[in-house]
Amino acid sequence: MTDLSIDLGKIQLKNPVMTASGTFGYGVEYADFFPLDQLGAVVVKGIRMEPSHGNPTPRVAEVSSGMLNAIGLQGPGVEKFLHGEEYMPFLRRSGATVIVNIWGKTVEEYREVAAALDADREGIAALEINISCPNVKEGGVAFGTDINLASQVISAVRGATSLPIITKLSPNVTSIADFARAAEACGSDMVSLINTITGMAIDVRTRRPKIANVTGGLSGPAIKPVAVRMVYQVYKAVKIPIIGMGGIMTGEDAVEFMLAGASAVAVGTAIFIDPMAPIKVIAGIREYMDEFGIKQVSELIGAVKV
Amino acid sequence: MPQHGEIISNEILKDSYRKVVFYVPDIAAKTQPGQFVHVKIANLRDRILRRPFSICNVTPDGMLTVVYKVVGSGTEILAELPPGTVCDLMGPLGNPFTIGDDDELPVIVAGGYGSAATYLLAQRSPAKGILLLGARSSDDLILTEEFKSAGFEVRIATNDGSVGHHGLVTELVADVMRENPKRKMRFYGCGPFGMLMALGKMLTRGGMDGELSLDHLMCCGVGACFACVVKVKDESNADGWRYARTCKEGPVFQAHKVYYPEEN
Repeated sequence: MTDLSIDLGKIQLKNPVMTASGTFGYGVEYADFFPLDQLGAVVVKGIRMEPSHGNPTPRVAEVSSGMLNAIGLQGPGVEKFLHGEEYMPFLRRSGATVIVNIWGKTVEEYREVAAALDADREGIAALEINISCPNVKEGGVAFGTDINLASQVISAVRGATSLPIITKLSPNVTSIADFARAAEACGSDMVSLINTITGMAIDVRTRRPKIANVTGGLSGPAIKPVAVRMVYQVYKAVKIPIIGMGGIMTGEDAVEFMLAGASAVAVGTAIFIDPMAPIKVIAGIREYMDEFGIKQVSELIGAVKV
Repeated sequence: MPQHGEIISNEILKDSYRKVVFYVPDIAAKTQPGQFVHVKIANLRDRILRRPFSICNVTPDGMLTVVYKVVGSGTEILAELPPGTVCDLMGPLGNPFTIGDDDELPVIVAGGYGSAATYLLAQRSPAKGILLLGARSSDDLILTEEFKSAGFEVRIATNDGSVGHHGLVTELVADVMRENPKRKMRFYGCGPFGMLMALGKMLTRGGMDGELSLDHLMCCGVGACFACVVKVKDESNADGWRYARTCKEGPVFQAHKVYYPEEN
């Protein structure tokens, strides 16, 4: 009997497969496709204090084996998220393990959001700190590419909540291992990586950028080797669990991230192509374990033979 | 839930316009006018995303017709797929048009292949009305005979004057209003964004309403990714508008709910 349950220190998951923030809405959008409690965790779209419009359109562009997006963190704000029927109340009823992705325009706003969620924490398993969104002018990656600012944000959130915290790291840095170490030092319980890689696409006929924000974040299979490499580097640098993501389409892709050092994984862009992708990834991991006689999924973590 | 849809036929309608028929009975049975299907085209190679297509027609025997124009990598590949190829379809998605009462005159204002997305509406409208169809030139007019067969009067406007009124399709709307001073009318719009904004403004300023099929580059098709948004009025917001997802809250919007920037 294969055992897919995974211990991330402060949280235990029934399987290692989550949804990547921003690719699964607030969960309710996919509730007709499968029961949300089948997932290891649902990671919701980024929440800040105030409602946000997000960026002008067009917000996405397809590229070879992937896509660029610059949604710009459109969202309802923390009050509506906590009390609006289709957000947290729905998720509580669904029985899903919920991780709330948070962001702010200032260090203080990160602290406030964390405190607001902490005060109404029923059904929230962990917070994921987004210091890596490349598509907002204030906040986001501005914090994730400066190690001092990143440390300030993580420390502020740590001071505001006793919920487990995950720091979502940006790949748009020279040494992602340095940022992982800083996160660990500031009390982050886990790190997740990678967020999207900054990219750009131009319509050569109109000579205009394909997305209104000019640049956007690249995701999908195109980025998987970069993501696997970064997970591998971070695994060697820190002791806290890693949630790996970036172009996972199949169970074997997920296994690849775990072999590189991830304790859990997130499926993102694949959901846009097939809403059942996270469920198929869980099944694919199980098939791999059966094929190779692996009883506990944690045996895969960092088991790459170099 | 994604479904397998076998291509029954995939033919040239006119120039770069194509008509593909899928056998996909579960989706066809549920489809209402104005809804769309989200298609994972077979053999897409390094292009990975689904493509949304308005549903042109459905039949009781499970056939679903999509009319599309070959405009990019996805539709170029779709155009090459022979009958028997199986694609993966999600749908029907989105909110449909409201079908009017039999005492209302349906007036469909379509631009380009907006006629394809409103054909099922014409077919299912209890009262037969008028299609106002705008296009760049006569080469871009499609489905006019089908609308006539459905009992609709067809009036044309072309930018180059090659057929019908030389000018914009929205200029024909005033004529219809003038000719039917007493008649209850129900307006529908489907076409390029600029045309729909002009139509929406014209209707709402005239104290009328209508339904506009708005969309934008779509990604997930089910409301999760927030890619396909358009501005709608929102008094609770300091700016007076918010971005609404066209895949989930649309694609059909009430004209009076859409935000028209120049108003302010």
